[in-house]
Amino acid sequence: MPSFGDLLYALTEWLRTTPLVELSLWISNQPLSLMIQNHFWVIPTIQTTHILAIAAAFGSVLMINLRILGLTGGSGTMTQTVARFVPWVWWALLTLVVTGIFMIVGEPVRELINPVFWIKMVLVVVTILVSIWFQARVRRKMADWETKRDGRIAMRAGAAAIILLWCTVMVAGRWIAYAPV
Amino acid sequence: MNLEAFWHALEASPLGTFVAESAWAFPTIESAHVIAIVTVVGSIAVMDLRLLGLASRDWAVTAMSRDTLRWTWGAFAVAVLTGGLLFVSNASGYAGNPWFQRKMVLVFLAGLNMAVFHLFTWRSVADWDSNRPVPTAGKIAGGLSLLFWVLVVFSGRAVGFTLDAPV
Repeated sequence: MPSFGDLLYALTEWLRTTPLVELSLWISNQPLSLMIQNHFWVIPTIQTTHILAIAAAFGSVLMINLRILGLTGGSGTMTQTVARFVPWVWWALLTLVVTGIFMIVGEPVRELINPVFWIKMVLVVVTILVSIWFQARVRRKMADWETKRDGRIAMRAGAAAIILLWCTVMVAGRWIAYAPV
Repeated sequence: MNLEAFWHALEASPLGTFVAESAWAFPTIESAHVIAIVTVVGSIAVMDLRLLGLASRDWAVTAMSRDTLRWTWGAFAVAVLTGGLLFVSNASGYAGNPWFQRKMVLVFLAGLNMAVFHLFTWRSVADWDSNRPVPTAGKIAGGLSLLFWVLVVFSGRAVGFTLDAPV
């Protein structure tokens, strides 16, 4: 049985046969990419901004979903919690996309010809779609969250799933640096 | 026994060699470290922004503290534990790295700032818990906390770009 490592190697081999290679090389010759490559501190600074945006997003995700799980936030109503933290998740996500694009422009081969990068992108899309769907459900239930208790187990399962999905995105993000490219 | 010998002994320990030589240990522990740090910074920022009066103004300061602080501490414990495991894999490299040293100083300053806030400013919290502006000392503590943690994250990332490989 092939291991996960073999699978990643196979995926890399396949990525090398796609037009992504040419695209990466073209990006790496653009002025913005060359500027990033020639200034040592640009990449760590963008990465730091990316991590701070994750802190804002994941911190807010935790405040909402731990509130649903009944593990924190009992001092505010669910409506207050959603109003306070949901906008931060989406603004932080926008920052993540922008800084992410800069990271791709700065190191296109490291990202685009990297199987873990694409696994992370799939996880990001899944996390966003599940979050949009779950958020609509939370908004429908938040007004009488404190009085009605029906459907709470399903909501708690959803909250735990959202937290886990964010964790898998972060793990995949860190593993980009260790993928066989 | 000088410090340099101690770092090398840590690297040579079974734990040190395991983290350094395993194909999966370092990235896995590092992933947990990142998740822990974003939880620390994210939850602390919620409290800092409340102190600065920039967000959560409809929350009492004590309520916000209650909602965030245990998660901050829990995640901080995980960050220290995972950070310790990463450290022993290349102890002399980290100990001698200027960005790692800066990161440790900044974590200490963040802790000191928090301690001063809780020992002194917090005493009068009942007077400004809700519907009252946070006193200047509290706002300064919130601002410094944000600044220190942003610099901790930057220094941590900088370590990865400046670290000498183990000898």
